[in-house]
Amino acid sequence: MAERALDGLRVVDISQGIAGPYATKLLAECGASVLKVEPPDGDYTRRLGPFPGDRPDPEQSGLFLHLNTGKRSVTIDLEDAGGRALLRKLLRDADVLVTGEKTSTLARWDLAYDALKAGFPELVLAQVTPFGATGPYAGYDGNSATAMAMSSIMYNTGDPDREPLLTGGEPGEYIAGVHLWLGILAALENRARNGGGDHVDVSMAEAVACADEYNAAMYAFQGAIRRRYYSRHIFGYPNDIVEAADGYLVMIPGAAGFGSPLQADVASPMSLLLEDPELDKNPVFKQAGERMLRWREFDELIRPYLSSHTVQEIVMTAQAFRMPFAFVPSVADLLRDEHLAERGFFATVRTPAGEVKLPGPPFRMSETPPAEAPPPALGSANADVLGADAVPARGGGAQ
Amino acid sequence: MSGDGKLPLEGVKVVDLTQVFAGPTCTRILADLGADVLRFESPNRLDVTRSLILTDNDGQDQPWARASYFIIRNVNKKEMVIDLAKPEGIDVLRQLIATADVVAESFTPRVMENFGLGYEALRQIKPDIIMISLSGYGQYGPMRDFGAYGMGLEPASGISSITGYPGGPPYRSGLSFTDPYSGFVGAGAVLTALAYRRRTGKGQYIDLSEQEAAIPVMGAALLEYQMNQRIPERAGDRSPYAAPQGCYRCAGSDRWAVVSVTSDAEFARMAEAMGHPEWAQDARFATAAARRQHADALDALIGEWTAPRAPYDVMHALQGAGVKAAAVLDGKGVLFDPQFRARNQFDLIDQPPVGRRPVQRHVAAKFGRFDPKARMRAPLLGEHNEEVLRELGYGGADIARLRDEGVIAEKPNLPVPPQLVSAALKLPYDRYLEQGILQALEPDYREQLGIADGADGG
Repeated sequence: MAERALDGLRVVDISQGIAGPYATKLLAECGASVLKVEPPDGDYTRRLGPFPGDRPDPEQSGLFLHLNTGKRSVTIDLEDAGGRALLRKLLRDADVLVTGEKTSTLARWDLAYDALKAGFPELVLAQVTPFGATGPYAGYDGNSATAMAMSSIMYNTGDPDREPLLTGGEPGEYIAGVHLWLGILAALENRARNGGGDHVDVSMAEAVACADEYNAAMYAFQGAIRRRYYSRHIFGYPNDIVEAADGYLVMIPGAAGFGSPLQADVASPMSLLLEDPELDKNPVFKQAGERMLRWREFDELIRPYLSSHTVQEIVMTAQAFRMPFAFVPSVADLLRDEHLAERGFFATVRTPAGEVKLPGPPFRMSETPPAEAPPPALGSANADVLGADAVPARGGGAQ
Repeated sequence: MSGDGKLPLEGVKVVDLTQVFAGPTCTRILADLGADVLRFESPNRLDVTRSLILTDNDGQDQPWARASYFIIRNVNKKEMVIDLAKPEGIDVLRQLIATADVVAESFTPRVMENFGLGYEALRQIKPDIIMISLSGYGQYGPMRDFGAYGMGLEPASGISSITGYPGGPPYRSGLSFTDPYSGFVGAGAVLTALAYRRRTGKGQYIDLSEQEAAIPVMGAALLEYQMNQRIPERAGDRSPYAAPQGCYRCAGSDRWAVVSVTSDAEFARMAEAMGHPEWAQDARFATAAARRQHADALDALIGEWTAPRAPYDVMHALQGAGVKAAAVLDGKGVLFDPQFRARNQFDLIDQPPVGRRPVQRHVAAKFGRFDPKARMRAPLLGEHNEEVLRELGYGGADIARLRDEGVIAEKPNLPVPPQLVSAALKLPYDRYLEQGILQALEPDYREQLGIADGADGG
């Protein structure tokens, strides 16, 4: 078997949902052994879907299958004293305990860090909650929507005269999951050098706020408060999704798209793309400030070209002129994308819902290939891991 | 934080050849965790972020030192300005790589090879080197040479295809979040490679495509298509996992709050908190499926309740009742939120020439044993040229010669006077305000933040 980057790392994961399980998926992909401890009726994502034919089945939830590849599953009822004793037994062999519970729940289960540290001084407790384990909102509930709202991303997404928009795909959960994963790796690095476990406390709202590009900085350095303004980037127009004859693309002229002031007599790449070098003489086309403010007039200048060319033609021509235009693929486009296929990005995984293509690891390592293993049936490792202590799973799982 | 405060990456040396956003986010996280990060710029081509969002721009002579976009993601780092087109520049870089643990770069593919500094070459210099390349589309595949800006990569990952108002076009998020996201992922990848090196003594090459890094966010949508041949539609603020979920207008100008309900019990609590316990018995709203079917009617009722209330009042009233809700904060709101303040989401740095400024954390995790904060301001241009060269054994005369020959510099080579650059970078904020691109300009913002000259600090 090929060597993996995190071979030998042992993780017990009592988290449910997206953020915690995504963090442990990232560990599992690099070879960590992840034992997923589910309540007897399973991680709640088993009930969320999507499901084949829209028929709910805890073994066929697309969201669950995506987030839990490469893990083993046992069922333990942590509301029960016997269950909690069983979990502590598992922690004896664990490096990391991952949870999405608030500290009040952990305390009820005797798993708050102060209590845990005494018995497991080398354990890393990794906790992801909507607002963090401390502070005035520590008891509050949340999800991707609340995290996106608090981060300033949402306020700045959408049309000026309509409600702010959430970004699709529950990204707040994934961003928090990545920060939890980072925190776990940092705490383990610290343990390897200096000894001792730690409490890693990730707030989903803070994790998303960390992804700010400049909204807070515009205030902290200039006193300016930005506001959503359609789909464009504030650093000039157009840096936006536009419609061509057969679909959408991102029009990004880039640093030199409208020419360089030092080469004023050379036709700009944008004018060449639009097949009309005369456009360079029009200030609405040529001048950054004018484009930003008179964008409706600019749109009229580019419309004839866009509506008579395909996305493929426009993006490839723009790239040939060294302008970083981009595609706007749908999920169907991604699954048949030649570039991703050549990179072998999607992994074909056998699951109870049949063979599906799942996104691969978010980075490639030259020396250690990713571990690829199917997601577990509920409680499928009960006999192996818990032996005689196993309690049957509820809700249609194996065992 | 308790413990001795020793940071986990102390002594780890990072040669940072990244620029703009994703790469510098990755290396800032490594720096926040204690690594010695040395970044590089060329005197002929500064990091473009040194021209973005200039602090209090009124025509100063060092525009490159005032760029907030640069400052916020380069704290805790040191910097050399060195011309890598000159053989002696490359020679200095090679000497630094020989003692480095990590090399990070974010050029388009081929550039490092052209410098003679591809992964194989780096391994000749330092056999256990960890190298990470952050790019738009990865180091191989038909689109490897595609030019890529962060603002195109959220759409390229598919996320924009499921973001937008119902029936409308796809939307980009209000900022290019896949850039920092791939920086976060890149930092974790380096930590993973460091763990592997600790165990085996072997280095790694990491190929990170920003497009790919963000695609897992599309996991459920990808499976919906494969399982049911349905391409998920743009649904505004609604979610397949919550009903109701929406963004509701509140009291004040352009003020909003989100509410997200994921169980019948939570819906009953929401109805109670809004003074309408009967909603939970209403057949239109009794189940998630029913609430989804009557979403417009339900949203209108919720909106009536939120309309006279401030966003924080909505949030605290509903959260107090056990309902997921949050104020929709703008850039200023993030700086003033009590929870973010209580947990030090911003650190205060003293950055010449712009003075004291709060900069946002890049490591979201809080640890018991150490604190990955901004402990050192962002470097000035070429600030550590001399210090680094002396550590390599260069004497004063050598350093002076390198400066004379333009191998190193503390100022950029500009074709025009810096004041003209400042003027060119001055954005027409008053017109943006008029147009609505900005919500407000607050001249007393430093007083509000407590960072005005003579103030105590925020």
